[in-house]
Amino acid sequence: MSNESAVLNQNEYIPTDADFVLKKNNADIEVDSNFASQSFWKEVIARFIRKRSAVFGLVFVLIITFFAFVGPGMNAYTYSGQNLEQKNLAPRIPIIEYTGLFDGHENINTTSGTKTVNYYFEKKLPDTFYWFGSDNFGRDIWTRTWSGAQVSLIIAVAAAIIDMIIGMSYGLISGYFGGKVDMVMQRILEIANGIPRLVIVTLLLLVFKPGMITIIIALMLTEWVGMSRIARAEMLKLKEQEFVLASRTLGAGSMHIIFSEILPNIIGPIITQVMFSIPTAIFTEAFLSFVGLGIPVPRCSLGSLISEGFNSFTTHPYQIIPPIIVMALLMLSFNLVADGLREALDPKLKEM
Amino acid sequence: MRKYILKRVVTALFTLLAITLILFILMQLMPGSPFNDEKLNEAQRASLYAKYGLDQPIIIQFFKYVGNMFRGDLGVSYKISKNTPITQLIATRLPISIGVGFAAVLIGAVVGLLLGLLAAFKHDTVWDTLATIISVIGVSVPSYVFALALSYQFGFKLKWFPMLFSAKDVLGSSVLPSISLSMFTMASIARFTRSEMIEVLGSDYMLLAESKGLSGKKLVFSHALRNALIPIITVLAPLVVDLMTGSLVVEKIFSIPGVGSLLVNAIQSNDYNVVIALSFIYSAMYIGIMLVVDIMYGIIDPRIRVAKEGD
Repeated sequence: MSNESAVLNQNEYIPTDADFVLKKNNADIEVDSNFASQSFWKEVIARFIRKRSAVFGLVFVLIITFFAFVGPGMNAYTYSGQNLEQKNLAPRIPIIEYTGLFDGHENINTTSGTKTVNYYFEKKLPDTFYWFGSDNFGRDIWTRTWSGAQVSLIIAVAAAIIDMIIGMSYGLISGYFGGKVDMVMQRILEIANGIPRLVIVTLLLLVFKPGMITIIIALMLTEWVGMSRIARAEMLKLKEQEFVLASRTLGAGSMHIIFSEILPNIIGPIITQVMFSIPTAIFTEAFLSFVGLGIPVPRCSLGSLISEGFNSFTTHPYQIIPPIIVMALLMLSFNLVADGLREALDPKLKEM
Repeated sequence: MRKYILKRVVTALFTLLAITLILFILMQLMPGSPFNDEKLNEAQRASLYAKYGLDQPIIIQFFKYVGNMFRGDLGVSYKISKNTPITQLIATRLPISIGVGFAAVLIGAVVGLLLGLLAAFKHDTVWDTLATIISVIGVSVPSYVFALALSYQFGFKLKWFPMLFSAKDVLGSSVLPSISLSMFTMASIARFTRSEMIEVLGSDYMLLAESKGLSGKKLVFSHALRNALIPIITVLAPLVVDLMTGSLVVEKIFSIPGVGSLLVNAIQSNDYNVVIALSFIYSAMYIGIMLVVDIMYGIIDPRIRVAKEGD
């Protein structure tokens, strides 16, 4: 017994002064970025920036938007100004023309083969520059492309925002009240969803006069369904939570709970959906213009430019290239931004 | 299950009826009537109205209209080809459109599946990035951009395939339109296959199958792919919509004598009767496909059936 305690005593650890010195690591703690302490939106931005494709998309959206509003004013031409003497001129840009690119030459297919001509010299226009060329009526394609992009963007964004308001309110109300209200509202939605969008849009534009407002209304009528589904699903998730109960106990009305308590909590998925519906709207608008139900002349949109360019795309391919590239880039970028936002707002979501 | 199918069918029929009502109302709203001729006097006009049943109460007109539509009598064309029954116009065009659409789905599904598998197995390599880029472009760039690009490069420049549809060479001239229509299908299936496969490959039962000593082929086809494929049905519905819209423009670009280009022509020449008849056909097709997709969901995933019966 005494033997054992002697052994224990030998092994017993005797603390010294050197053991418990506080490490002065306040500097390290400050540097350590603890995500839990950051606000939700800071975190979202950080995650968004980390995704390269999303940043790439955002940059392109910003560039195209910038040119859509500034581009038409960058030269003296207007989107509707015609100059039949200077029609079908190939792109020619000052300074760059000396490299041999964009110097106004184009290849003409004749029966005897292909030959290269430069109409700027043949028509004696040494000081005329059409950066993207000129179209069938001698209108500047640069100006028309950007003002077309402007029209397409305005239509798409307006339609997306209006859908958001309608779809969101519909979904939130349907989800919040549940029961009979929900049943009736969902049946209506099912029927609305059963009608192909194409059919609604086409018929609406046949009955009403085509124009910016009509197109926005047509787009609005087709896109709100998706939005309302998302809003309803989110509402069903949230409405049983304690903060809603607390608000109701304090005497808040239904509309207050829906729009000022729950709405701020579901803003993430809603924004994502808006971003996804913008490219859809751009596409639908372009499609309508292509079919001949778009913006009436002389105004133009990307779709109407493409459909004009299509008529001469084998002889003067440069006329269709700018609107096509701008539209493809715009849709691609919006999709990338929306994808990035979706992942940034909901990191648990599996990668698609 | 039977209750679920019955419920879906009833909803579908009801939707179709609602669409018919909307179409009928729109018909009434259309500017002008077919008998707007100045030369007709009151008596003649009245007799024409009586002949076509336009003097009857609107409710009776509606039911007659519904009856005609469901029996397959879609009225006659006024402008595109005068007094030709629309059914006759459509009869030759529908097979062409369906053929091109079917080819597009087939190409899209096969290529998309392969692309998705490639991306999943070579996860986080150059192949994966490449497949992702292709699928992002395919999803976001509209099919008619592809149609124009393909028709310029392979039809006009290289002359591999005809630029315009010709009845003599149906197969050759369907290649470009089918490929351009298939891009969206391909891209969405590739995306979906990739994400599903990555999830399935990381699951416990794959580890079990692997540790049982199963060979690579069996592992991929009967364990991984089968489970990954089930959710792909969920992308079918948006694909149908895209094919319908896409076909309109693509058919116009390649001047394919299909239903889509008929609709475009009808819109451009204000042939309301044809537009409305085609809208009805498009809606019926769409609702039919949605119904099939819905029922397929129900068969494959019982949870959906239960949830939908519940609400």
